[in-house]
Amino acid sequence: MARVVIVGAGQAGRRCAEALRDLDPEAEIVLLGEEPHPPYDRPPLSKAVLLGADPGNGLFVRAPEFYAARRIALRTGARVAAIEPAAGRVVTEAGERIGYDALVLATGARARRLAVPGAEDPRVLTLRTLDDAAALRARLLARPRVAVVGGGLIGLEVAAAACRLGCAVTVLEAAERLMARCVPPAVSDLVAALHRARGVTLHLGQALRAIEPRPGGLVLDAGAVRVEAELVVAGIGGVPNTTLAEAAGLAVRDGILTDAQGRSSAEGIYAAGEVARFPHPFLGRAARLESWQVAQNQPAAVARALCGEAAPYDEIPWLWTDQFDWNLQVLGDPDPAFELVRRPAGEGRATFLALDAGGRVRGAVLLNNGREATPCRRLIAAGKAVDRARLADPEVPLRQLA
Amino acid sequence: MPDWHRVAEEADLKPETPLGVRVGDTQIALVRLEDGIYAVSDVCTHEYALLSEGFCEDGRLECPLHQACFDIRTGKALTEPAEVDLATYPVKVEDGAVFVRV
Repeated sequence: MARVVIVGAGQAGRRCAEALRDLDPEAEIVLLGEEPHPPYDRPPLSKAVLLGADPGNGLFVRAPEFYAARRIALRTGARVAAIEPAAGRVVTEAGERIGYDALVLATGARARRLAVPGAEDPRVLTLRTLDDAAALRARLLARPRVAVVGGGLIGLEVAAAACRLGCAVTVLEAAERLMARCVPPAVSDLVAALHRARGVTLHLGQALRAIEPRPGGLVLDAGAVRVEAELVVAGIGGVPNTTLAEAAGLAVRDGILTDAQGRSSAEGIYAAGEVARFPHPFLGRAARLESWQVAQNQPAAVARALCGEAAPYDEIPWLWTDQFDWNLQVLGDPDPAFELVRRPAGEGRATFLALDAGGRVRGAVLLNNGREATPCRRLIAAGKAVDRARLADPEVPLRQLA
Repeated sequence: MPDWHRVAEEADLKPETPLGVRVGDTQIALVRLEDGIYAVSDVCTHEYALLSEGFCEDGRLECPLHQACFDIRTGKALTEPAEVDLATYPVKVEDGAVFVRV
């Protein structure tokens, strides 16, 4: 592989570059990022960065000199304006043409914007980048009343951080429960109780209709509920950055469509990380997953494809969230339709196992109980029926059941 | 100068069940393996998390957050995302009490 150009210098772009370097000492690797920063992982943005805490190695995972030492030509502030597939090159916004033998699109996603009247007000923010996080933190330090629109992972992490910084926080969620896309109702209820206990006001089942500017503040109109705030944060999901891919004629449907190793519909062009929609062996369908895990490991499968190795990406899905002093991890597919078995693990800790109709563990939620993540993953991978009573018995080690 | 500190009772250590202890500001995970008791830094070298809250098996300690694995006997980082080894500490047992040298 002569020259590989990777568009997007986030976690997925970095991981693809690193994995490719490990596999191919000769390849020329160009990593183009539009942000001014070297690659960073995003999980700390809505946690440590907002709180002003030290994110350790979890933000900038690599030291600045890492890229040159690994002969990865990292170019920050380099936004790609177009792909020219016939010529095998990309064109940057500055007009520079960079030829490639293979192209990896790791363009990620952007924060979805609110589509209600008044949403363009400068006091309505989103959180996606390091600069977004710094700007949001600066505003939070003035302790405004904060309205968070969206009770998903980002919204709740922002709510927790704002609350910890001394802000009065209200969360508006259109669904009847929190984190509805990733945890079963029983877990949603626990998360709601946590936030309420810490002083966050929750309005569930309340869809935002408009944001009205008022002298000195904003009013969020959700019909039955009106919320006053000085600052609004929208955490309503991500939109994949597929504009370049669409313009280049790639097949796109809420993500760049790829095979299980990131090959797009165009020869020599691949997609890595959360911009890719790929057939997922465990889920049994095509999926586009926004998680640290996919950004970390799917790009390595792309690197193997670049080197001609057949090794599809097939991990059991996994994500985590930190809210206040809670750590929640979600493994597999804890579909709300499944039976949920609660496995106590001491004060403030538990594992919830989601069993399908055949009694097989298909998903798990770990509440402050990461210790059981690996045995849960094994149980899910084993795909065999497990005795419910033994699952629920904390005296029976999970690894004995896997 | 490193010194020996009494940190636990031997009876508190069940096989492959890590115990988190502190000596001053130093957080340490104690683990009983079949060939003895070992002490490593309790803080994952990737991102802040206590390894004593992680899964332990086959002489390996796993971070509860990102599942990076470390060799309990040597402190060596075995899997991504951790790349930096853990500090290890000498351990001795006297009259049923566990001491580490920090």
